[in-house]
Amino acid sequence: MFLIKKLSSFATVIFGVLLLTFLLIHLVPGDPVEVMLGESASSADRNQLRADLGLDQPLIQQFGAYLAKLSQGDLGKSIHTKTPIIEMMKTRYPATVKLALLSLIIGIALGVPMGVYAALKVNHWQDIVVTLVSVRLSAMPAFWLGPMLMLIFAVWLGWLPVSGMESGASIILPALTLGFGLSAILTRMTRTSLLEVLNDDYIRTARAKGLTEQAVILRHALRAALLPIITIVGLQMGSLLAGTVITETIFSWDGIGRLLVESIEKRDYPVTQACVLIVALSYVLVNLVTDVLYRFADPRVRVSA
Amino acid sequence: MKALKVLAQFCLILLMLSTGSCTQQNSSTSSHEIVFAIGQMPLNLDPRYATDAASERVNRLVYQSLVDFDTQSKPVASLSTWVELSPTVFRFALNKNRASFHNQMPLTANDVKATYDSLATLKDSPNTAEFANIKNITVIDNDTVEFQLNQADKHFSAKLIIGILPAKLIAESYDFSHSPMGNGPLKFIAWQNKLTLQRVNDGQRISLIEVKDPTVRVLKLLHGEVDLLQGELPPELVKYLQTKPDVIVKTGIGANFSYLGLNFQDPVLQKLKVRQAISHAIDRKQIIAKAMIQHSREADMILPPEHYTNQLHADLTLNDYNPVLAKQLLQEAGVKLPLKLVYKTSTDAQRVRFATILQAQMAKAGIDLEIRSLDWGTFFEDVKQGNFQLYGLTWVGIKTPEIYLKAFGTHSVPPNGFNRGRYADAELDKQLAEENWQAATTRIRQQLPYVPLWYEGQFAAMSKSITNYNAKPDGNWDDLGTISYAH
Repeated sequence: MFLIKKLSSFATVIFGVLLLTFLLIHLVPGDPVEVMLGESASSADRNQLRADLGLDQPLIQQFGAYLAKLSQGDLGKSIHTKTPIIEMMKTRYPATVKLALLSLIIGIALGVPMGVYAALKVNHWQDIVVTLVSVRLSAMPAFWLGPMLMLIFAVWLGWLPVSGMESGASIILPALTLGFGLSAILTRMTRTSLLEVLNDDYIRTARAKGLTEQAVILRHALRAALLPIITIVGLQMGSLLAGTVITETIFSWDGIGRLLVESIEKRDYPVTQACVLIVALSYVLVNLVTDVLYRFADPRVRVSA
Repeated sequence: MKALKVLAQFCLILLMLSTGSCTQQNSSTSSHEIVFAIGQMPLNLDPRYATDAASERVNRLVYQSLVDFDTQSKPVASLSTWVELSPTVFRFALNKNRASFHNQMPLTANDVKATYDSLATLKDSPNTAEFANIKNITVIDNDTVEFQLNQADKHFSAKLIIGILPAKLIAESYDFSHSPMGNGPLKFIAWQNKLTLQRVNDGQRISLIEVKDPTVRVLKLLHGEVDLLQGELPPELVKYLQTKPDVIVKTGIGANFSYLGLNFQDPVLQKLKVRQAISHAIDRKQIIAKAMIQHSREADMILPPEHYTNQLHADLTLNDYNPVLAKQLLQEAGVKLPLKLVYKTSTDAQRVRFATILQAQMAKAGIDLEIRSLDWGTFFEDVKQGNFQLYGLTWVGIKTPEIYLKAFGTHSVPPNGFNRGRYADAELDKQLAEENWQAATTRIRQQLPYVPLWYEGQFAAMSKSITNYNAKPDGNWDDLGTISYAH
């Protein structure tokens, strides 16, 4: 029942996104026919192509035709490259997912332990150092951190490639660039969330019962502190799957974010629409997974549902 | 510590991956594939569709066209010689020793006919309109083909620069866009993340990779991941590369014309004295010296001084920097100072930088320039729609004087041409119709339908192992046909 409810609300969201994107695309300046034929084409040729593409039809009819094609899995073709968009997505989306997952792993692997450590050493010098590092990391934009990591690990040390997707190691620097930013957020969130529960009665009870500190933290406190962390991780994963344009551009990572921005610049409308659809689907899916995880992390959510 | 263990394992994986990267890098070096980093990958390698600079530059290497241009931009024989049998009939004789297509099929007159016939039938090609004047194409024999036109066109031969495709593959609707098949010096190998080409005569492989960020392109060159860069770098990065002992930077003159476009529907800009004032308010020499690369030069006309139509005279003093004179001209034109003007440009960092310099210089002449930096699609749409007062653009790769008719002809307002400023000048129309280039260019210099700026210098930066490569005035990559890698 829970899943059915969620799925039906997600279908509404996706429809809304599709409609809004379709309308917005037709509002911005730029004409795909002019993009295809250039400035020198005759009016007759323009009108002919506009009719062939169905662009002379009322908007509502165009939207209906778009939905009909979409329901058959046809995302159309790129205006510029004439490539079927489904083929573009087959290479671009997995690249984004790969980068997003590794960034998330780095973010969690660094952020959660650092946050726990800072909470346990609250108001000690270790807490101050961790807080300072996390503030520093969150203040470093990707367009600065990325080239710095390239300079250190690629140009000076020569350990990793500067950018590109040629080797397996190419993913490390962009993933670190994204992961460091994410870890900073998670460190602060984990620290705050854990500090809130560490003074609760049930933690005191657990300690009074003679549980080891490790068991108290990992089994009781951290589990209770997980809800806001899951929320943040879910939101961040959604953003990562939407593509991180700056990081993908700097590192020449052929992901969906870069494709989306390029398609907007070139007024490649079918590609823009497909990218927005994929991004919306990703967000919806991540939200669904987050909701399911809530139910595992906190039995109260299950009861109230 | 379970978490610590996981972290340690993760670090180990990172280390293993990085070791793998070093191995891979070494192996790629040993294959001596020349890697060329570019800012924008080609969009479409079918010459009938290609319009972007990268596609056209690659297509020049993969395909061969009937006609090419010499250093003065005069059309010269490439794949064929030609004779004008009458004002409407052109006969082309293919070279006897021409190369076959890369799939070993011989190139014949049938392929020429099929290529240009197919252009007429394509509904979505930007090049179709250019050849609408072709009435009929007749194959005389395997080596000879004749074009009949509907209307006389003296410059018809100069238009035949579309790469020739195999007739058999055209009939099969072959995907030239992603898997080009021509008879040029480089043949197509693969196109995934990188575009790999191979030189036909010696097997040298050349890869083109897209690296959008200029700083990253430079870092990749310094790290040895790429061997060659050309253009699209800010001057400070070019100067930085010139200080590096392991990098060779070659600069040369450019032929791509940068200008300020003006809207003649604006009553203020219709006044010649205002246009002259804008021109005198710009210190081109200073901008070239401080913010551009070596070999950049002042411009006064779309086609550069070395072009055959533009060699008679080039009076650059017409545009000399003189803010006092500029202010005086504005006052004589009856304009209330400061004159407020809106300047539209793209979001490209170098263009925005130029805009801010122009803003500062024009302020001294009493012009209050407001900069509007727009994303390319919106900016270009505004330009085409005439929704601007001033804009900045560059003409790239222009060879034929017909550009004057298309850019300034009264009847060339979009969509019939590129007269985006809606300039109307009966005298110039007459001179252009008579193809009196000397009179027309003089008139353009005097009337300033554009405010000319400069021809930006060209450069190529390469590792020390690279030889036989130079930057070309129009930025083409033709030297990839001769480039070598010293072992």
